[in-house]
Amino acid sequence: MEGLKYIPDKKFECNVELTGAEKFYVWDGVSKELPCKETEALQCNVSFSVPTRMKELSYRADIAAAAQEAIVITPQTDRLTQIIFVRDTLSAVSSRVRINCRESGEYNIVLCYHTNGNHEYSTEEQMEIIVSGGAKLDLVIMQNEGALSNHNTDFKIRVEKDSHLSMNLITLHAGKVSNKIHTLLSESGGQCNLNGLYLADGKQVIDTKITLLHDAPECASAQMFKGILSGEAKSKFEGTIVVTPKGQKTEAYQANNNLLTSESARASSDPRLVIYADDVKCSHGSTCGSVGDEEMFYMRSRGISEAEARILQQQAFAGAVLDKVSTPELRERISRLVERRLRGEDIVCAGCGKRCC
Amino acid sequence: MSTLLEINNLHAGIGEKEILKGLNLVIRKGEVHAIMGRNGSGKSTLSAIIAGNPNYTITEGSITFMGQDLLKMSPEERSWAGIFLGFQYPVEIPGVTNVNFMKTAVNEHRKQKGLPPLTAAEYLKMMREKMAFVEMDPSFSSRGVNVGFSGGEKKRNEVFQMAMLSPMLAILDETDSGLDVDALRIVANGVNRLKTKDNAFVVITHYQRLLDYIVPDIVHVLYKGRIVKTAGKELAAEVEKHGYEEFEK
Ligand SMILES: Nc1ncnc2c1ncn2[C@@H]1O[C@H](COP(=O)(O)OP(=O)(O)O)[C@@H](O)[C@H]1O
Ligand SMILES: [Mg+2]
Repeated sequence: MEGLKYIPDKKFECNVELTGAEKFYVWDGVSKELPCKETEALQCNVSFSVPTRMKELSYRADIAAAAQEAIVITPQTDRLTQIIFVRDTLSAVSSRVRINCRESGEYNIVLCYHTNGNHEYSTEEQMEIIVSGGAKLDLVIMQNEGALSNHNTDFKIRVEKDSHLSMNLITLHAGKVSNKIHTLLSESGGQCNLNGLYLADGKQVIDTKITLLHDAPECASAQMFKGILSGEAKSKFEGTIVVTPKGQKTEAYQANNNLLTSESARASSDPRLVIYADDVKCSHGSTCGSVGDEEMFYMRSRGISEAEARILQQQAFAGAVLDKVSTPELRERISRLVERRLRGEDIVCAGCGKRCC
Repeated sequence: MSTLLEINNLHAGIGEKEILKGLNLVIRKGEVHAIMGRNGSGKSTLSAIIAGNPNYTITEGSITFMGQDLLKMSPEERSWAGIFLGFQYPVEIPGVTNVNFMKTAVNEHRKQKGLPPLTAAEYLKMMREKMAFVEMDPSFSSRGVNVGFSGGEKKRNEVFQMAMLSPMLAILDETDSGLDVDALRIVANGVNRLKTKDNAFVVITHYQRLLDYIVPDIVHVLYKGRIVKTAGKELAAEVEKHGYEEFEK
């Protein structure tokens, strides 16, 4: 039997195909602004008070997901499509997400990952992203799960001719996360920005492994990954940029910066460049540091307490990644969540058990 | 007049190096003091120690501020108590906007006084007013603290911050260096307008020209970590004319 499909009148320009999620909710076809205010979130999600087709889609999505059938969503240009994955009762899930943007136009998609309760959820996820035909995809991924979750995602990304991908991967909270990101720039004029922010404390572990392949001329890529680690948290970043002989006039940048706020937090960073073309501009680097003393004293001398000064500095550190989120409303929400996280406050949106941004 | 700050036989330094070697100073409400002295005489060290910079170690002596043992207080507690230091080299804080920085500072001060935080609108109004006070363009508020500011702009930002916090005792460490005549006038006006009979200022400078605008009641010459001469405002003119040599015997 063919999977349940939501098919609009127009032919697909971009679609997201989901398989195997335990439960998810979709916001689609609303304005570029976020569908509802924080306080209305719960109501929107549960009663589906906005467009009726949303209600149907979400309802069927539940059934489809449980049945392991694929469901297809078509984001529209100039709109923000938010897909919220919720882990609830199943302890282990293998899921697949395919995002396929094929025609020119700007697409904004947010994927949120949430757990209800504090079970040992494990998630094995395949994420396939293809951007082609001059499309521009702005993708935000919010990982906000319980402290015992174990989430492994394998990204396979391909950016084709004159197409752009900007991906912001925010790991706000989780037990153990591994993001393996394999990216191919396969045709000329492609652009790929991968940004990431990971926040970890306690015994949380965040692994990021990126291979980015420039296999065509005149492509640009930029990676900025930043981590703030406290407690006994650990992060590992391995990033390799490969420029093949076909990759003339490549521009590729990569940075991984970690801020350690405790003695026992650990960050390891291994950025690598492998270049087989001669006309390229590439750079990479990593830093690992703690908070600057001079800045600290300056802030305290203005009456900003030490704790507050640390939060300001951490927000500033994270801000460089958050600035890359292009939808202002979304950027603001995520910034607020990051601040709450840094303050050790509850990081589920007010009035909502499922949506976090 | 009542005493604000009293420093007795202060010995202090960095690591093994002693920089202040038995310094005494009394500042009362309503006074403006000027401290002059060659580079390296210890002026910034004295300011940093009053503001509570943890890099310095105090080996002997005491500092009391409004009857409290200042040396027992953290930098933020000193700020809440009314001490302000205008830095000789203001620090750049990339990523923290001026507006966020000062709003946090003002609200921390309010919290200490048991007042609720200012609303965004209240804060903006206050900020605009004080920025106008030092003729600072409001666009500076959205920029990172001191990031990409010229030397003069940084110093104006210090005076703006002082105006926002209305301290009891403000120490301005070479706020005039690197300023053109216009900026100098703006800074001096800022100080003169904030001056009341209840607060006090310490102006650290090499030049008479700032003291033409901010007229000091008392002038000190600092030499090798000690105050070697204290007199009225005429001392500044004397230093300007003859240099420091005659005080260094
Ligand atoms: N961080 C430091 N480490 C070692 N010596 C220092 C440090 N800061 C200042 N000093 C020394 O302390 C003395 C006083 O410096 P400072 O207080 O900056 O003088 P002033 O402000 O009067 O020019 C100088 O000899 C200077 O070299
Ligand atoms: Mg100095």
